[in-house]
Amino acid sequence: MKQSLIIIYLAAAILLIIGFLIGGSQMVVAGLNISINTAYRSFLMLLASFVVIGQLNVLLTADIIEKWLQKFSGIKAIIVSAIAGGLFPGGPYIYYPFVASFKEKKLPFYILTSFLFGKYIYDFSRIPLEASLVSPNIAFIRYLITFPIPIIVGLIVLRFFKDTPSYDYNLKAGEKDGSNNYNS
Amino acid sequence: MAQTTIILSIVAVILIVINGKLNGRQYEGIKLGLNQFIRTIPIILGAFILAGIIEVMIPRDFVQNWLSKEAGLKGIVLGSFGGMLLAMGPYAFFPIVSTLMVSGAGLGTLISIITGWSLLSLSKAPFEIGFFGVEFTIKKTIYSIPLSLIAGFIAYIIELLVFT
Repeated sequence: MKQSLIIIYLAAAILLIIGFLIGGSQMVVAGLNISINTAYRSFLMLLASFVVIGQLNVLLTADIIEKWLQKFSGIKAIIVSAIAGGLFPGGPYIYYPFVASFKEKKLPFYILTSFLFGKYIYDFSRIPLEASLVSPNIAFIRYLITFPIPIIVGLIVLRFFKDTPSYDYNLKAGEKDGSNNYNS
Repeated sequence: MAQTTIILSIVAVILIVINGKLNGRQYEGIKLGLNQFIRTIPIILGAFILAGIIEVMIPRDFVQNWLSKEAGLKGIVLGSFGGMLLAMGPYAFFPIVSTLMVSGAGLGTLISIITGWSLLSLSKAPFEIGFFGVEFTIKKTIYSIPLSLIAGFIAYIIELLVFT
């Protein structure tokens, strides 16, 4: 988070300097006015968003999601893992190690990919932010259009890497690595 | 904006009730959310400053020629790769998207930039390389580019058919 903070403030400082050089103090003040107005208008909305995010975090734990993933196979597993990816709470420090643990759980590669793409595309805890900071309509259209992506990716991987366990995805379709045909 | 706040507040109350009934961890959830909010305030404020200055600096001609509905495929391609380069978290990213929307960017551009950022953002690369290797990261990036472009193109068609 510190790194993001440095990047954002550095970028803001650079743009403020460029803005000052292009349009003088008027442009800088106009930009800062917009920022203050946006911050003022968004405060309550952001507060509500974070309460939602906090509640989702305690409602959907990694244990619950892990149980779902081990129950299904094939296309059902793809849909469940994509949605589970979207519901999985936390940032990259939490979900990458969780996905990496699929190897020990012997889950197939198509579950890994649909979970990962589900997290990237759906990430339901991001909806409040997307709706409040951009627009509810844009968020809705974006979800509608991109909804099939994790499922399509999962189906493609299932078709071409069906027997491949997580991490050994370089094997070609039908090629065995000597291990079991996990979860299929 | 008031409508969104009301909807989010209702959702928050519903989730608090659900957590109260299911696991009794509703207060923990509130504390977790508020802590996260306090921790991210500096990032959000920085993003608002960044978005505000972009809004006044971004030339209208640029938006019209490269990002608007009229820009067509140019906007979609630029959006996908722009999303990839915006290596930042959602708190910083969405205010910038909002700025582009206010400036007049087309639906296709907005959807492709959000999809590009979701799938391709370079901020994910260190984690992906670390956990899954370079080859996985490269392949995932290559296969994800068309997905982002298609999403933008579908949005562009929707904008042409529905919103004009």
